[in-house]
Amino acid sequence: MTLATLVQWKDMWQTVVASVVAGVGITFAFSLGIWGTGQFVEWSRDDRPAAATAAGVIATVAFLAVAAAVIVSILVMTQK
Amino acid sequence: MSSDLILVIVVGTALAFDFTNGFHDTANVVATSISTGAARPQVAIGFASLLNFVGAFISISVAATVAKDVVDAEVITPTIVFAGLIGAIAWNLVTWYFGLPSSSSHALIGGVVGSAVAAAGFDAVLADGLVGKVLVPAVVAPIVAFLVAGLAIGISYRVVGKQRPGIVTRGYRYGQIVSGGLLALAHGTNDAQKTMGVITLALIANGTLGAEADPPTWVIVASATAIALGTYSGGWRIIKTTGTRIIKMDAAQGFSAQGAGAAVILASTHFGFPLSTTHVINGGVMGSGAAKRLSAVRWGVAGNIFVAWLLTLPMAALIGGLTYGFTRIFGTGALGPVLVTLMALSLVAVAFSRRARQGAPVEAVGA
Repeated sequence: MTLATLVQWKDMWQTVVASVVAGVGITFAFSLGIWGTGQFVEWSRDDRPAAATAAGVIATVAFLAVAAAVIVSILVMTQK
Repeated sequence: MSSDLILVIVVGTALAFDFTNGFHDTANVVATSISTGAARPQVAIGFASLLNFVGAFISISVAATVAKDVVDAEVITPTIVFAGLIGAIAWNLVTWYFGLPSSSSHALIGGVVGSAVAAAGFDAVLADGLVGKVLVPAVVAPIVAFLVAGLAIGISYRVVGKQRPGIVTRGYRYGQIVSGGLLALAHGTNDAQKTMGVITLALIANGTLGAEADPPTWVIVASATAIALGTYSGGWRIIKTTGTRIIKMDAAQGFSAQGAGAAVILASTHFGFPLSTTHVINGGVMGSGAAKRLSAVRWGVAGNIFVAWLLTLPMAALIGGLTYGFTRIFGTGALGPVLVTLMALSLVAVAFSRRARQGAPVEAVGA
């Protein structure tokens, strides 16, 4: 037996890909949410309603994406 | 009658291990939240404890790996499982005493493998399961967590770099409630399953369950309860090492480290890899520190942790093997396990009283 035959490469590869996508994706989406919130506050203060609304929408979508990713990850766990 | 008594001792010892696992690994789950000020220590620990309990119910893939893929269940006896557990608990306590976040999972698997080898030779070890599902993931997972956390913090700094610090810090602190919760859930599901797996292995070895049986419900509930109670009791010494001594974290780093750790553990649990959650979260912590500035990581502390990681499997295996040899001096009955249990309880009492005399729990930074 060699290492190549002992390791379940397909499962390992899928684990790595899922980890990278989820770990980086969630952090990116959450950061985008914080950026959107910050810009919403700043542009609202600067009296730029259209830009502020766009930033608010980005923040909302980003935070919803984080919530969806968390829920999906838990559901995937329970289905095996 | 004798085998049933041994089985009761094994189940009790396994649940004690599960308790020490939660106690030992509390740091993995809550240290980053506490050190960045995202949550007060008692709140973070209570929250983590609850989610560890819940997490134990969401999968049994890892339990199946521990029970069926690491050692040959046909040659295993409850005494072998008992000796392996003692090896794991002893190594957990040694590393706890010195404040090192070593792996409870590798201690458990090392202990069981060591006692199995002592009892039945190397044929008792299932090499493909041990290498393919334990050793290789043990190397890969912390590296992936390191890279994911590093990449994630790099991206997040670019996205929020020009924002006011106040809103960024507050935002990531709120985010850490989610990422810390997810990490606690991931920890509960991966680590509690190892105890379920070991108890199931002992039940199979005793003939109580069939060879292909899954963990019974009472095993799942008992394991979930033990790890949750252990987590609530908390390991303050290791919280300090993970939370402040590896790197000095900001909230964004804490979030990315926890997010990376949770992603790696949940993905691995889905495929039944019994990971070291300690290795993974420490990999994430180091990755989030190194991405900001390599010198931000206290590599000396990281080196000590690395040495503890390297020693864990062989040392737990050695203690497990020696324990099995000791129990056999008294025959195959319950006397050996009973004597070892009494000795272990005495040593635990001495270790806790010495540690209690040497210092009060550390104060949280930024809490």
